[in-house]
Amino acid sequence: MDDLSLLSDITLFLKEKKSEGVKIVAYLAHDNIPEELLDAAGFFPLRLMFGGNDELMDASHDFLPPSTCAFAQSCIGLFSTKPNLFKFLELIDYFIVSNHCVSDVCVSEIISRYFNISRLNFYVPYTKNESSLKYFKLELLDLKSKLEDIIGTKITNERLIESINKFNQFKKVLLKVNELEILGSEKLKVLHRAMLYGPEFQPDLEKFIRYVKENPSSISETSKDVLLTGCSIFINDNMVDLIEEGGGNIIFFDTWIGNHYYSQIIDDNSINTEKDPLELLVLKFKNNIYGDHSVPNFLQHKISQIENYYQDYTKTKGKKLGVINHIIKFCDHISLMSSFLKDRLQEKGIQVLNLERDYSRANRGQLSTRIEAYLEMMK
Amino acid sequence: MSLIADEIIQFSSVLRIAYNLLAGRNYLKRKKFREKEKLVAVTLPFSDLAFAADTIPVFPIRMHEFEISQYLTYLGSASSIFGWNRVSNFLGFIRKLGINEVSKIVDDIIEDVIDVINKKYNEMYDIGIENGISTDFCYGLKSLVGMHVSKGSNVDACLNVTIRCSAYNKYLESLQAINKGPKQIWIDIPPRNIGNAIELLTDNISHAIKEFEDLTGNTITDNQIRDHFKIGNQVKRAYKNIIYDISASDFYPCNPATFSEIMALLSITFQDYNSNATRYRDNIVSLEKEMRERIRKGIGMDVSNMPRIFVTPMFGGWEPKSHEIIYELGGRALYADWELLQLLEEIPTSPNSNPAEEYARFLMRATETGIGCDNDKLTDSYLRMARDLNADGMIFFQLFGCHSISNCYSMLREKIRNELEIPTTAITFNKIGESIDQVKTRLGAFMEMFK
Repeated sequence: MDDLSLLSDITLFLKEKKSEGVKIVAYLAHDNIPEELLDAAGFFPLRLMFGGNDELMDASHDFLPPSTCAFAQSCIGLFSTKPNLFKFLELIDYFIVSNHCVSDVCVSEIISRYFNISRLNFYVPYTKNESSLKYFKLELLDLKSKLEDIIGTKITNERLIESINKFNQFKKVLLKVNELEILGSEKLKVLHRAMLYGPEFQPDLEKFIRYVKENPSSISETSKDVLLTGCSIFINDNMVDLIEEGGGNIIFFDTWIGNHYYSQIIDDNSINTEKDPLELLVLKFKNNIYGDHSVPNFLQHKISQIENYYQDYTKTKGKKLGVINHIIKFCDHISLMSSFLKDRLQEKGIQVLNLERDYSRANRGQLSTRIEAYLEMMK
Repeated sequence: MSLIADEIIQFSSVLRIAYNLLAGRNYLKRKKFREKEKLVAVTLPFSDLAFAADTIPVFPIRMHEFEISQYLTYLGSASSIFGWNRVSNFLGFIRKLGINEVSKIVDDIIEDVIDVINKKYNEMYDIGIENGISTDFCYGLKSLVGMHVSKGSNVDACLNVTIRCSAYNKYLESLQAINKGPKQIWIDIPPRNIGNAIELLTDNISHAIKEFEDLTGNTITDNQIRDHFKIGNQVKRAYKNIIYDISASDFYPCNPATFSEIMALLSITFQDYNSNATRYRDNIVSLEKEMRERIRKGIGMDVSNMPRIFVTPMFGGWEPKSHEIIYELGGRALYADWELLQLLEEIPTSPNSNPAEEYARFLMRATETGIGCDNDKLTDSYLRMARDLNADGMIFFQLFGCHSISNCYSMLREKIRNELEIPTTAITFNKIGESIDQVKTRLGAFMEMFK
């Protein structure tokens, strides 16, 4: 069921971190947490990105009604499932309560409260006007001050710049992974590991890139290329396999685990000229226009992003590109916008499959049928 | 229903509020087409700026024609000639004479308020689903989408105020996709009151005021805003008095089921003041007066032996038969959602105050201590309200698809057990009238605890 070797590796990795005196801060995977700040304070930012099976979902029902998004349920399940395979969670020192969506708030709060993990707050404004950006900076200052209280020393600008550069470089390498012509499942596996381990995984990434370039893999010519948008595919989720078994291949992950993360690169010019490194993090937030948290222009940005990618792709490759909008059941952001996204893209001649599901095994057959039918239509 | 009808005609102010709610369409048409006023869609009680800007705020369901509005129009016309008090006294008088047709008409008044509104809500819910909103969202959102799909093109603008519920915020974003015409005016409330967050929210409000000025072409003065706040404060004062002085007391001016009907009516209409703040203020102030007058005269019902059951939340959708069922089971249902969320707090209006800043403080207080940026704070609000109402029990409506409020129930239950030690239960809700039997069974079992 689970990628046991990954679980074992991450446990060892985190234990080693702890033995070096590093504190671990966990949070639900999303694209607005300032991991550079956590890193600059000497913490290890641990993104919770596991989900994809019934057991984790079901293990959350003492805390949340089943009509909660399957990923949110799974995050609680990570802590409450018995026997617990996720022993590394015991190593977490702090948990960030954030409001990517309201389920993020609820789940983070429950984890902190009922599994006795100290809480740190980091709330994100919904709009992106001048006031919101200023508010985002207030949250950064607040978090910075809390972190400084914990470590008992100031986080210097130099240290923060160093972390920003580190994550920037890491994301640039991830962008190169994105460009590799390999199976989506392989790419995703690497993305999972990279985003779990962070910049320390960079040497492995570079090695992987070199290896793929030296040993190009062959992807079936009959497979249909697909852009995946909407909700991420988390570790242990079989969605990517279902798509590949159906004859598709994801070439672009337009999700948190994917482009939302590694597209957030701060330009070198800003890094060199901006004196206040927190402003760089504000800039990063401002530029993250494709993230699903923001209103009121998320839909508009998303449509133009997908349209541009689609046009470029068809021009270069001379064939159709599929768009699968992956909707985890009860996801506020993706689900509510899904029909509008589909309609608008279809008006532009881009066929979209809105694929809604939770993590129950029972619907695997139905999902396969829908994916196959959609890919068949792309011929 | 007859008993409730008998009671309600004693309150002409209730009749007026009900009439203004259901006959809104004609009023709004007149405002829009004859008087060339701008209509602004609002949801939740965030209509203040729209009123201050001299636009007409409207909770979109009120743009619909209700089945019996012609009859109500007749009543409305009669009242404009004879006055509301005379009309309601006359109805009460002839009902006592046992004239069946008229008796039926009196019952119809209540049908207007309760059944027709609820039927319309359900209709909106269906329209929402037919137009693409997933069935996985809560009743409130599905209905709101239905309202905008069916009538949203009639408004000139939508006033969008972000709250902690991410689905609600996304619904607000979707409005521009549902109808391209209306201007979208946004107020983003910072999630927490840290640093100069009040100042930033003040800027957001000032920006929204500017947007209203662009919409109407008129300048909005501080005095205009303060004047509206003064009216709003009077509304809130009367509403609070009804909640604390009357609903929490041991003698009601009517039977408890009727009382709950009135509270439900106030909850719905408080969102847009039936599009006329002064008229609404006059009605709710006289409602409080009428209630007090009846109590003073000893007209009404001793409810001291009936357990106070705090029923919440109801603003996003709840089973409206609950209070009748609770009444039949020997209890009384108390509704106080807006107070719980701190939306009945008054806004300072001193001449030297900056109204945008005062409004920012009001919104921030509601966000911080009422709605709460997390469930810890939200559940504290439930506890505070239950304590203030001296509630004997709490019924929590857990809306299917609500990820904001319904998800706090496990924490709330724990806090109630530890801190209040009163019985509580959750009732799942999807659509009005869908599971009445289940609600009856759950409430029956719950009310057993008080015997």
